[in-house]
Amino acid sequence: MKSTLVIGGVLLLLIIFFIAQYNRLIKLNIAVSEAFAQIEVQLKRRSDLIPNLVETVKGYAKHEQSTFEAVVTARAKATTASTVADTAAADGLLTQALRGLLAVAEAYPDLKASTNFLSLQEELSTTENKVAFARQFYNDNVRLLNTAVKTIPTNFFAGFAKVEEREFYEVEDAAIRNAPNVSF
Amino acid sequence: MGTISFRAAQGANKRKTFFLLAAMGALTWLVLVSIFNYLGTSSTAIVPFAVGITLISVWGSYYGSDKLVLTMTGAREIQEQDNPKLFGLIQEVIIASGLPMPKVAIVEDSAPNAFATGRNPDHALIAFTTGILEAMDRDQLQGVIAHEMAHVGNRDTLVSAVAATTAGAIALISDMLMRIMWFGGGRRDRDSNSNPLMLVASLVVLILAPIAAMMLKSAISRKRESLADATAVAFTRNPAGLRSALEVLAADSTVVQQKSTAVAHIWIESPLDASSVSKMFASHPPIQERIATLRAMESLN
Repeated sequence: MKSTLVIGGVLLLLIIFFIAQYNRLIKLNIAVSEAFAQIEVQLKRRSDLIPNLVETVKGYAKHEQSTFEAVVTARAKATTASTVADTAAADGLLTQALRGLLAVAEAYPDLKASTNFLSLQEELSTTENKVAFARQFYNDNVRLLNTAVKTIPTNFFAGFAKVEEREFYEVEDAAIRNAPNVSF
Repeated sequence: MGTISFRAAQGANKRKTFFLLAAMGALTWLVLVSIFNYLGTSSTAIVPFAVGITLISVWGSYYGSDKLVLTMTGAREIQEQDNPKLFGLIQEVIIASGLPMPKVAIVEDSAPNAFATGRNPDHALIAFTTGILEAMDRDQLQGVIAHEMAHVGNRDTLVSAVAATTAGAIALISDMLMRIMWFGGGRRDRDSNSNPLMLVASLVVLILAPIAAMMLKSAISRKRESLADATAVAFTRNPAGLRSALEVLAADSTVVQQKSTAVAHIWIESPLDASSVSKMFASHPPIQERIATLRAMESLN
């Protein structure tokens, strides 16, 4: 009688332990998906800002056709991307193209002074920050998930929970890469 | 000073808070033992009484903290259209931290300062003085918001409520005991064979306990400030923003108009004159110390 109680207790503890590990993995996996959705929401917001911004800059700087085209093509690419790697690559391109557009604006004092442009610029910089933080939050969550998938004891349950390592969101940012080379 | 990673700083401050809260518990236990020792078991009825009073007063204010602090500080809640730039900045930190969007309020005061309150992240409120919004640039304000959201994420309203309850209960117990002794109460079971030395020790404990509790409460508050600085860096990965914000606060000599000690601990910079409060009882670590720690984090990047 006593031994069956002990065995029952141990079994119960094992089941609770099993459920806890399983749920932890599932929760981490959902957190990663949510974080990725947040990146997409912010990228969409940025993408929605672009037509208005391009039109405003065009009003003052008609001759910068190549810069406008770069932004428009990068935006088109960004809207069709679906996997993490594609989204990240398109995101990096668009970030660069937008930087080029703002650099063009620097040469037009009338444009820089217009209230419409100023408010668009503020909206763009807050959205750029939101995109950056959404990436950071996503990567933090991926780091937590991947650590859990690889470390004991959660790694034993990864197969059963059908949870795998997820991909980091890595943006090819030429401006950041080249930064050390500029300072000589 | 060397380099400090924000993760190490977060861990260290969390551990220190744990030990300080444990010390609070030990102090409470010491007070209870002293009461047993000095007055005998018959007088211990005041313990649940004192704990009850503080529980009701402190936890009432904890539960309604988001609304109560609004009236105590004269803050006015605002919506997104009132200040889209500030809301944009707050949303940035929200995305970085993964916390829910708090309520936002403005205090009409030219002194730069800010605070966070609310019983949990879902009922959080962060407030800024008009002074801080004027004095700070984008990065600095982002650092300040991250510090306030760090308080929300670390549940500092709860931690300070626990500290205030314990400190309050201890103060009330020792106050009541003093009155009982004053009016000729004292030990009921005089024939017990307690050591007179123990009795003196118990009396000393009861006299000193409220002071010790106040000091522990202040120490906990200081550790939570340091933790919030480290957590803010975890959110923004930009120690320079918060550091230069603190430099603006340090350089500014004006203080928020209402100097009530009751809400002093919630501001990012202590509104009380530094000289009027000794370091042991200060609710915030010295601002230069906080700047130095953030500088050490910057050298990592």
